[in-house]
Amino acid sequence: MTSSSGTSRVTPLPLCADAHETPAAVIEQLSGVLIGKHHTVKLAFACLIARGHLLIEDVPGVGKTTLARALGVSLGLDWTRVQFTNDLLPADILGVSVFDRDSASFHFRPGPVFTSILLADEVNRAPPKAQSALLEAMEERQVSIDGETHALPDSFFVVATQNPTEQLGAFPLPESQLDRFLVGITIGLPDAATECELLEHGDRRATLDTLEPCTSPEQLKRWSEQAESVHVDSKLIHYIQALLAATRDDGRYGHGLSPRAGLALLRLCRTWAWLDGRDHLLPEDVQAVFPAVAGHRLTGSVASGQEAAADVLARVSCP
Amino acid sequence: MTAVGVALGKSTRKKRWVPQVLNLRPSTAAVEPRILSALAALLLLAQLPHVVHLPLWATLLGGGLIGLRVLACKRPDIRSLDWVLSSIALTGFCVIVALLIRWHYGYFVGRDPAVAFLFILVAAKFAELRRGSDATLLMCLASFLLLTQYFYSQTIVAAAVTLPAVLALGHALAVVRDPVRAAPAASNLTLVGAMLLQGAPIAILLFIVFPRLSGPLWSLPEDSMATSGLSDSMSPGSIADLSRSSEVAFRVEFDNEVPPKDLRYWRGPVFERFDGRSWSAAPIREVATLAVDANATGTINYTVMLQPHRQHWMFALDRATGLPMSSSGDAKALARIMTDGQLISDAPINRITRYLQQSIPGDRVHTGAAPGPLTRNTAGRNPRAEVLGQQLAATHDSPEAIAAALLQRFSQAPFRYTLQPSLLGISPVDEFLFDTREGFCEHYASAFAMVMRAAGIPSRVVTGYLGGEMNGDYMIVRQSDAHAWTELWIDGAWQRFDPTGAIAPSRIEDGIGAALGADEPLPSLSRLTGGWMGGMQLRWDRMNHAWQRMVVDFDDDAQARLWEKLGIKKPALWQLTAVVLAVSCAWVALLIGLPGFTWWKQYTHERRLPPAERAWQRLERLLAHHALGRHIGEAPADWLQRVARQQPVLADQLHALSQGFARQRFAGVDDEAALGALESSIGALRKTLRRTPRGKTTSVPAPA
Repeated sequence: MTSSSGTSRVTPLPLCADAHETPAAVIEQLSGVLIGKHHTVKLAFACLIARGHLLIEDVPGVGKTTLARALGVSLGLDWTRVQFTNDLLPADILGVSVFDRDSASFHFRPGPVFTSILLADEVNRAPPKAQSALLEAMEERQVSIDGETHALPDSFFVVATQNPTEQLGAFPLPESQLDRFLVGITIGLPDAATECELLEHGDRRATLDTLEPCTSPEQLKRWSEQAESVHVDSKLIHYIQALLAATRDDGRYGHGLSPRAGLALLRLCRTWAWLDGRDHLLPEDVQAVFPAVAGHRLTGSVASGQEAAADVLARVSCP
Repeated sequence: MTAVGVALGKSTRKKRWVPQVLNLRPSTAAVEPRILSALAALLLLAQLPHVVHLPLWATLLGGGLIGLRVLACKRPDIRSLDWVLSSIALTGFCVIVALLIRWHYGYFVGRDPAVAFLFILVAAKFAELRRGSDATLLMCLASFLLLTQYFYSQTIVAAAVTLPAVLALGHALAVVRDPVRAAPAASNLTLVGAMLLQGAPIAILLFIVFPRLSGPLWSLPEDSMATSGLSDSMSPGSIADLSRSSEVAFRVEFDNEVPPKDLRYWRGPVFERFDGRSWSAAPIREVATLAVDANATGTINYTVMLQPHRQHWMFALDRATGLPMSSSGDAKALARIMTDGQLISDAPINRITRYLQQSIPGDRVHTGAAPGPLTRNTAGRNPRAEVLGQQLAATHDSPEAIAAALLQRFSQAPFRYTLQPSLLGISPVDEFLFDTREGFCEHYASAFAMVMRAAGIPSRVVTGYLGGEMNGDYMIVRQSDAHAWTELWIDGAWQRFDPTGAIAPSRIEDGIGAALGADEPLPSLSRLTGGWMGGMQLRWDRMNHAWQRMVVDFDDDAQARLWEKLGIKKPALWQLTAVVLAVSCAWVALLIGLPGFTWWKQYTHERRLPPAERAWQRLERLLAHHALGRHIGEAPADWLQRVARQQPVLADQLHALSQGFARQRFAGVDDEAALGALESSIGALRKTLRRTPRGKTTSVPAPA
C-alpha cells in the first residue's frame, strides 16, 4: 500500500566534506536552484529553521516542487514525496497495520509520512479526509493508528505545494490545516532576465540530482536553538500583538490570526533576525515575514492574503 | 415663471457677450451633488414654517427655484437651465419679484413683505449656487430665514417646526466640511443628532446665563400688525364676531383667592361717545389718581400675562385698586388709569406683557369727576327709544327704578340672546328694541345705555371680558369671553348694570356656551367644558403657558430673579464667559472622555519612557515638523530610508541615526554614551534641516 503510485523515498547523501556549514551557504545553494527568488528561498529556509511547515502556492510550472526537493537535499534530510490525488486515502500517507500470517499478528507498516521532509505535492487535490490525515502529524509530530501512537522523526517537516484554489479539481484547505503551515509563499513567474537565463541553461531540475547537502539535521537543530535566543524587545511583543488584534478587529478576515499563528510569527521573526546575523529583533523583520505568516491564514490563499497582510501592516502603527 | 422667461429672452438676444460671461464661471454642475442635496433639504425645511403666512405664489416661486437648481444638477445636459439660473436672469427675476411683493402687500418696508422677499432671495441664491464656498453663505442665510419665523410666533409649535431644519443644517455643515467621507445620509444624521444633543446642555446653560437685553433687539414696523381682540369702538355685531374666536386674550395667575364667577368682569375699553349706531371712546380723557383706600379689604392680587393685541389698553378686574406693575419687581407702573377707569399703557402691547395687578371686586367705580356732556348724548337717531326713556323717567322716580324697569322689560318681553341677530338699519336701537328683539351683549348694552341717557341718567358702555376658565393654577380668558356692559352714574359713582344678565342670566354664571342655543356658531371649545377634547385642549394650553413663562418670558428680569434666588450677585460678563467656557470645556472633556484620558495617559507615559524612546520621539516630531513624518505602520528603518531619498543631503546622518536607534531601542542594551551621541546627532540634524529649504522636499510615496 505504501508503495502506491506517487510516493518515492530518497535516502540522503552523506554530508559533503567541503560544505560551509553556514545558513548563508544553504540560502546560496537554494538560490542557485531557484534563480532570482532570494526572498522566497530565504523564507522557506527560515521556516524550516523555525521548525514550521511550509506551504508553497502557485500555478504549476514555476518551480514549487523544485524548491521543495532542493530544500530536502540541501538540508541533508531524508525526504518523501507524496503526490496528492483526489482518490488518496489517509492510509496512503500514514501507513496501515497488516496481518502477518506467520506470526499471526498485525504489523504496522509505516507510510510515507515517516520521514524528515514530507513533500506533499498538490496537497489541495486530495479530498479533506486525506488532508486531515496530516493534521496530527503536523502539530504533534506523531501518528496515531489503531490506538497506537507512532512518533515521527524530530525534524519532521511538511513542505506542501498547492495549486491556486480556483483551478479545477482543487479542494480548499480547511482553516485548521492552513493554520498549521507556518509560512505560505508564492514563487511567482521569473522576470525577463531570469527567464532568459533559464531558457539558456536548461531545466534546473537536472541540477537537483547533483545537489549535495550543505548541513546536517543536527546543525539545523543547533541553528533553531540559536535563533530562539534572539532578543525581542517588549515594544515588538506589543507590536506583534497589535498586528494579531488588527486581523481580528473588524471581521474582514474571519476570526483573524490565532494565538498559535502569533507564536509562529514570533518564532519566524526571530529566525529572520538571526539569519541577518543579529541578536535582536527589529520591526523591519516583523514586517518582512508577516505577509508570509498571515497571508494564507487570513484568506485561505497565499496570493490574495498578501494584500490583506499589507493592509494590516499599514493600519497598525509601528514602534 | 414669466420673470424667468423675460430674462431668458434678454440673454439670448445678447448672445455675443453673455455666454462669455457665463463661461467665466464654473458651470452649475460644478457643485457636488451631495452638498447640493443637503442644502436643498435645508432650504426646503427652512422655508416650511413660512408657508402658512406667505402668499401661495411666493411659496411656489421659492420652491420652484430650488427644484430647478436640483434639476440642473441631475440633468447637466439641459443647457437652457444654465441660462435660466445665470446670475443675470436671477437678478432680473428678483427685481420683478420685489415689484410683485410691493403690489401684493401694498407696501414694502414691513415684516411681511420683507420676509417674503428674503424667502425668494435665499431661494434665488441657491438657484445661482456655483461654487462650493457659497454653501457656507447659504447656510447662514437659511438660518436667518429660519429665525424670521419667530417674528410671527414663538410658541412651542413654532420652535418644534424649526427642529428638522436645524437637523438639516447640521447635516449640511457635516457634508460641506467633510465632503470626502461620503457617509450615507442616515448615519450622518445620526451623527449630527448626537452632536446636537451633546451641544444641548451648553445651549441651555447659555440660554440661562447669557446676558439679556432689557427690551426687544429691534422693533418691527407696526403698520403690518393686525390688531386682535377688542377694538376701539363698538357697533352691533362687533363683539359677536369676536365671540367666535377661541384665541387666548390673556392668562391670569391669582396669588391666593380666585374671585367668584359673577365678579370676573375684566375691564377694557370704555365708550362714552355714541353716534346713534356705534360707540367709541371720549376724545379727551384725563389721567386719574387712584384713591388708595388703606382700610380696603378683599383685595385680590394677581399676575396677568396679556397676549399682544397692538392696542394701548390693559385689563384688570373691576375695580382696579392699583396700577399694573412690571413683574420684575422694580416697581415700574406700566400704565396709567384714566378717569373712565381704563388702564392705558404708553406703548401698544406688541409682545406678551406680564404685569402685577390688584383689584377689589365690586360693581361701583369711583374714579373721576362728574360725567361730562358726552354721557348724556343720545344722538337723536333712535326716536322710539328716546320716547321709551322719557316714559320710564316719567313713571319712576329713582335711577335704580328706571334701570330696573328696563331690565324687567328685557326679561319679560320676548327678547332673544343670539350670536346671529337680524341685521339692523339706520336706527339700530329702535329696531332692536321694538322690531327684531334679538341680539348679543353689545345690542343689549348699547340699547340700555341709550335709553338710560334718554331718561336723563348719564351712562356709558364698558367692553372687556366676562368670565375665564381655571386651568390648573391659572385662568385662561379667551376672546370668546368678550363682553359689553353698561355703567350708570348714580350717587356720585359709576354703577355697573349688565343687561345681558336680565335676558340670559346663565351667561354671567356659566359662560357663553351655556347661554347660547346649540345651533349658535360658537367655537367648539367654549362648549366643550368636559370630555377628552376639552381636556386635551386645556393640557395643551397649560404646556403653552409653561413654555411662555419659562422660555419666551425669560428676559433680563427673570434672569435677575434667578441670580437672586441663587443668592449670587449678578456676575460680570467676564466671569460669565469664564464660567461658561470652563463648563463647556468640562462637558466636552466628559463627552470625549476616553480619547482625552488616553492623551493624558500618553503624556504621562511618555514622561516615564526610557531615554532612548524619548529621543526617538523627538526625532519623529522633528521630521514630522518638516513634513517628513512617519506613516502609520512604516517601520523605522524604512521611514528613514524614505526620508533620505527625499532629502539626499541628510542621507548619511539618517543612516547613522537609523543604525543607532535600532540598537538602542530594540537590542536591549543600555549604552548611555551611545545615547548621548544619538541626541547630539538629532541636534545636528535639526540644524541641517533648518538650512535645507523646504521646497526641495520632493514627495515620494511610501513604499508599499
